[in-house]
Amino acid sequence: MKKIIELKNITKAFDGEPVLQGINLDIYDNEFITLLGPSGCGKTTLLRLIGGFETPDEGDVVFLGQRINDVPPYKRNVNTVFQKYALFPHLNVFENVAFPLREKKVPKEEIEAKVTEMLSLVALKGFEHRSVTRLSGGQQQRVAIARALVAHPQVLLLDEPLGALDLKLRKDMQVELKKIQKQTGITFVFVTHDQEEALSMSDTVVVMSEGKIHQIGTPIDIYNEPQNAFVADFIGESNILDGIMLEDYKVSFSGQTFQCLDKDFGKNVPVDVVVRPEDVDIVPLERGQLTGVVTSVTFMGVHYEIIVDVGGFKWMIQTTDFVDVDEHIGIELEPDAIHIMKKSEYSDLYGDYSSFSNELDELSEVSEEEDE
Amino acid sequence: MREHITRDQRRILRADHLALGPYTLWAALFILVPLVFVAYYAFTDVNFQFTLENVQRFFTATSSILQDDGTSVEARTYLLIFWRSLKLAVISTVICLALAYPLAYIMARAEPKVQKTFMTIVMIPMWMNFLIRTYAWMTILQDTGIFNNFLSLLHLPGVHIIGTEAAVVIGMVYDYIPYMILPLYSIMAKMDVKLLEAARDLGCNGLGVLRRVVWPLSLPGVISGITMVLIPSVSTFYISQKLGDGKIMLIGDVIEGQYVANNLHFAAAIAFILMILLLVCMALMRKLAGRRVEGGL
Amino acid sequence: MKPIAKVYTAILFLFLFAPIAILLVFSFNSGNSLSVLSGFSLYWYKELFHDANTLGALRNTLVLALCAAVISTVMGTAAAVGINKLRSRSMRAAMNTVTNLPMMNPEIITGISLMLMFVFAGRLMGLATSLNFGTILIAHVTFCLPYVILQVLPKLRQMDKALPEAAMDLGCTPMGAFLKVELPEILPGVLTGMIMAFTLSLDDFVISYFTSGNGFETLPIRIYNMTKKTVTPKMYALATIIFFVILALLLVTNLMDDDAVRERKAQRRGKKEHTLSDRGKKTLAGSVMGVAAALIIVVSVAGGGNTLELNVYNWGEYISDGSDGSLDTIKDFEAWYEETYGQKVKVNYSTFASNEDMYAKLKSGAVSYDVIIPSDYMIARLAAEDMLVPLNFDNIPNYQYIEPQFRGLYYDPDDRYSVPYTYGVVGIIYDANQVDQADTGDWDLMWNPKYAGKILQFNNSRDAFGTAMYSLDLDVNTTDKAQWDRALQTLLDQRPLVKGYVMDEIFNALESGEAAIGAYYAGDYFTMVDAQADNVDLQFYYPDPTNYFIDAMCIPSCCANQDLAEIFINYMLSEEPAIANAEYIYYACPNSLVYQNETYQEDMGEEAMEILYPDTGDFAEKYNKLAYRNLSDEMLGYMNTLWENLKIN
Repeated sequence: MKKIIELKNITKAFDGEPVLQGINLDIYDNEFITLLGPSGCGKTTLLRLIGGFETPDEGDVVFLGQRINDVPPYKRNVNTVFQKYALFPHLNVFENVAFPLREKKVPKEEIEAKVTEMLSLVALKGFEHRSVTRLSGGQQQRVAIARALVAHPQVLLLDEPLGALDLKLRKDMQVELKKIQKQTGITFVFVTHDQEEALSMSDTVVVMSEGKIHQIGTPIDIYNEPQNAFVADFIGESNILDGIMLEDYKVSFSGQTFQCLDKDFGKNVPVDVVVRPEDVDIVPLERGQLTGVVTSVTFMGVHYEIIVDVGGFKWMIQTTDFVDVDEHIGIELEPDAIHIMKKSEYSDLYGDYSSFSNELDELSEVSEEEDE
Repeated sequence: MREHITRDQRRILRADHLALGPYTLWAALFILVPLVFVAYYAFTDVNFQFTLENVQRFFTATSSILQDDGTSVEARTYLLIFWRSLKLAVISTVICLALAYPLAYIMARAEPKVQKTFMTIVMIPMWMNFLIRTYAWMTILQDTGIFNNFLSLLHLPGVHIIGTEAAVVIGMVYDYIPYMILPLYSIMAKMDVKLLEAARDLGCNGLGVLRRVVWPLSLPGVISGITMVLIPSVSTFYISQKLGDGKIMLIGDVIEGQYVANNLHFAAAIAFILMILLLVCMALMRKLAGRRVEGGL
Repeated sequence: MKPIAKVYTAILFLFLFAPIAILLVFSFNSGNSLSVLSGFSLYWYKELFHDANTLGALRNTLVLALCAAVISTVMGTAAAVGINKLRSRSMRAAMNTVTNLPMMNPEIITGISLMLMFVFAGRLMGLATSLNFGTILIAHVTFCLPYVILQVLPKLRQMDKALPEAAMDLGCTPMGAFLKVELPEILPGVLTGMIMAFTLSLDDFVISYFTSGNGFETLPIRIYNMTKKTVTPKMYALATIIFFVILALLLVTNLMDDDAVRERKAQRRGKKEHTLSDRGKKTLAGSVMGVAAALIIVVSVAGGGNTLELNVYNWGEYISDGSDGSLDTIKDFEAWYEETYGQKVKVNYSTFASNEDMYAKLKSGAVSYDVIIPSDYMIARLAAEDMLVPLNFDNIPNYQYIEPQFRGLYYDPDDRYSVPYTYGVVGIIYDANQVDQADTGDWDLMWNPKYAGKILQFNNSRDAFGTAMYSLDLDVNTTDKAQWDRALQTLLDQRPLVKGYVMDEIFNALESGEAAIGAYYAGDYFTMVDAQADNVDLQFYYPDPTNYFIDAMCIPSCCANQDLAEIFINYMLSEEPAIANAEYIYYACPNSLVYQNETYQEDMGEEAMEILYPDTGDFAEKYNKLAYRNLSDEMLGYMNTLWENLKIN
């Protein structure tokens, strides 16, 4: 595959605050790549570096083999779908989409044809002369996409484009974006803090926090083989425990020894153990490898989410079986349910559900959106 | 390639400088430098030798004032005049605020179309020269004028207004009230109705909403309104000449008189002191209001 | 709206429009009073359109306002964009402080500070005139800028920051992004800023007063300078016309906006789809710019070319201006000159409100005039300070018609610098319906407690002290401070009786019966009689001793074309213009072509001739004894201090 963009050792600081540190990333042709991370992790800055709105303090942005650090945005063959769309309120739908073509002095008939084509691609035919301020959020979104795509950029940058849409619309747009990307064959660089969105749409996911890249990989790799506690926690729900890798395929935690599929850590090495909530089996008390007391049960529709206190550590378990609060239960873990990670600076920060609450989680998500 | 790149980079930079450059130059040349000249003239004599005499004169010159009981007392001429100007200006400003505040509130709550019409109505008088309008007030306020004729039509006793401080205050309120209405209106129009509803919901009565929500939120507008009325009122010299029947001398009259008497250095000294005093007043007021107002109107 | 809100709004609007209603009504007055209605007439409107000077001042005002609005809008918008982009907090705070300064500073300080700088810079560069159209324009732009910036900045802050980035992302250069995306977004703010700038410039008097110079007179200045004579309903007529023009303009823009609203509603229903409001606003802004540009071109063309220029500086309302079918002296001179000499001449005619006013401007070196018409004592002062050039009387053969009694007077003993224009005597005007005949005859009338609250005194230190000194039989030119103190005491004694210290306001006050007694210049008495109310019966007498004055034409040393100036002076002495001026001003004329002319005598009437040309015996002797003389700076300063002392009480 052809490399379109290479980011080499990029560092960027605002007012002395480092925002990006030592970023290395290759973006390939025809790829749907997602920059995923909590707010303030530097993902938007990274996108703006590619778009040309910021210049790196150190390192290079390379586009098709040429260094473009100082090329202004209007000379880059890269277009952006902005977070709040940035549609021009004084222009109607047609003129918004035609804007980049008019800049390029494309002949009139051609503009007409291309804009019409684009609008039908995003299913907005017949809306040409609407004022953009009179469109719904989803429609505005489509105009923004059409406008960014109409001039056939080699790369399309999308800065949390679905953040302002409601859940249902967001799901639809995810599918649609993916479809548009397939149809046009243009590289999409997508920024989001929503891990589900990242997993469902991307070819490649780049997990970032605090200005650094933690892991680059396919959605499946990222989910199944998180490289550290941060990634494990950020992608999906995880129980992360302190453990000791006794030897290859053998790990001990919570006072028990378990079989696992991991090796090459050495002998008696402290590690982080990740167990996904859906991989935990509930068994009768006497058959459990571990035993604990149920402290809370939440009905989630498809399954129950229960919190179990196992010797002071609170586990989250997703199960379809109903259990009652204060019930004593046994827990069983298959070897493939256990994933071992090296200790990192993020160990002990995540993975305990002792203060877990759905509500709090949602609240923090809302404030994240507002921050950006 | 490299050169090409830096040229683009420079272009963006240059665009920013181009935007701010002329104004910065203009502001320095025509706002700051002239003030330096005022200070320079204030502290020099006719031969441009340094002197404190002009400033001293402002603070120390005395006149004898005839009192009601026939005795006379010595008073500091210019301090007294300044004090009177400030007093009339403050009274005018308070009246402007009291009159404009309800109007701005009514305007801001009206339908958009009505708001526009109201704005127009407030603006129109400003398009007609204020000298002429002040002149017309003479016709209204004089003892044989429209207002007193109206009173006698109602068999009410006439009032003597022209030539009194009241007439000057009326003139100031009339001339400067649009400068109070506009900032108040523009800040109240931006105020979210939901806030008022929320306050009512939380148990405020009408007065409570006004005192605890509307008033604090409108403070920036109040401050810019006060600034825009107080400053011209303190320094006016036409209104006092016409409506004060020449009997009320304000600090603006003194400056103008000294200018006409070709006493530029003393005129500059008064202007300089007036400027400092007003800046201090304004700074204090803004501090008291506890809020930095960045461009209310 | 609640009823109480409606009532409140109505009352406030009534307050705002009361004076406008007054000037609307009085603009149709058939008399020339601003307080007594004599009947309905369109006379003043007709007059207005014949008054080239007022129309010229109107044009100047509009040109100035348009230029100031356009320049401050362009520069202010750019500045707002720049300030908005500043990343450093302290830089932004500094810019904001500087921007707020002209708003935090009283106009009078802005005016004086700019004037001081211009004059200083002018001297530094050795310019003959440092105050001109350029300086007043700079001043107006300076005080308009903050308002534009404060209108545009919030719009920029409200604007989605991503918009210009989006434009650049889609291929616009920074400038392109600004013009195509940012500007349309902030346009409402820009337009409001421009309209505010225009309004403020139009209404400004104080700053213009200090920074205007040569031949560029705006309407407010012209009105202010009418203070020796009187403001006529002509100005009200002008204000009325302005009022209706604005009303029409606002209605049109409002209608355009209504269209926009309706269309937006239609759009919401999905029917009609193009927005006209944008187009409307753009057309409005475009046409304003276009008109401004056209006017600027017209003005600059008018200023250029092979045309001689003559700058004349005279009292307000002190020349026949073509009203009421009279001769338009200035126009007639221009035509006559072109006919006689085959070359065009353009007279820039400006006015001043007082001798001191004129002196201040002239002394600052900021202006340059070719002909000035000051009063006697000021001529003496100017001559002593080498600010006048000796006249070449070969160019002024009509000087022969100035009678010998008006020659060789104290202010110009060798007849080198001046040619008398008018002369007069100060008398007392009283309302016979309010004043007992027995009390009249001398100065005591003005100190008579019977008429407390009905007496008017000059609002001009020299004349006011003059009345006191004549009444005390003191020498008005004394250098004995004790005598001045005595005069002050007399004025202080009078103060409780005084209704007001007035200049032009005396016309209204006496015409309407508002006041009963006032000293003023003889000729003006007739203007008042013409306009007096039904229940007023104005009478006139000369107290003895009293003030004699002469206003004379001179050429200041800054004159650029002395020959032309002398030709103008000579023209002013010739029969037709001299009579026209004398009839217009209503003061006595020292020109024998005038006062011996029978038509003139008939026009004036017997009573007027008697009052205007009293038999004074030896005029020169009386004049030299009683006229004001130039006071030393020390005495002037002393008088000024006393005057402030009087006023402060």
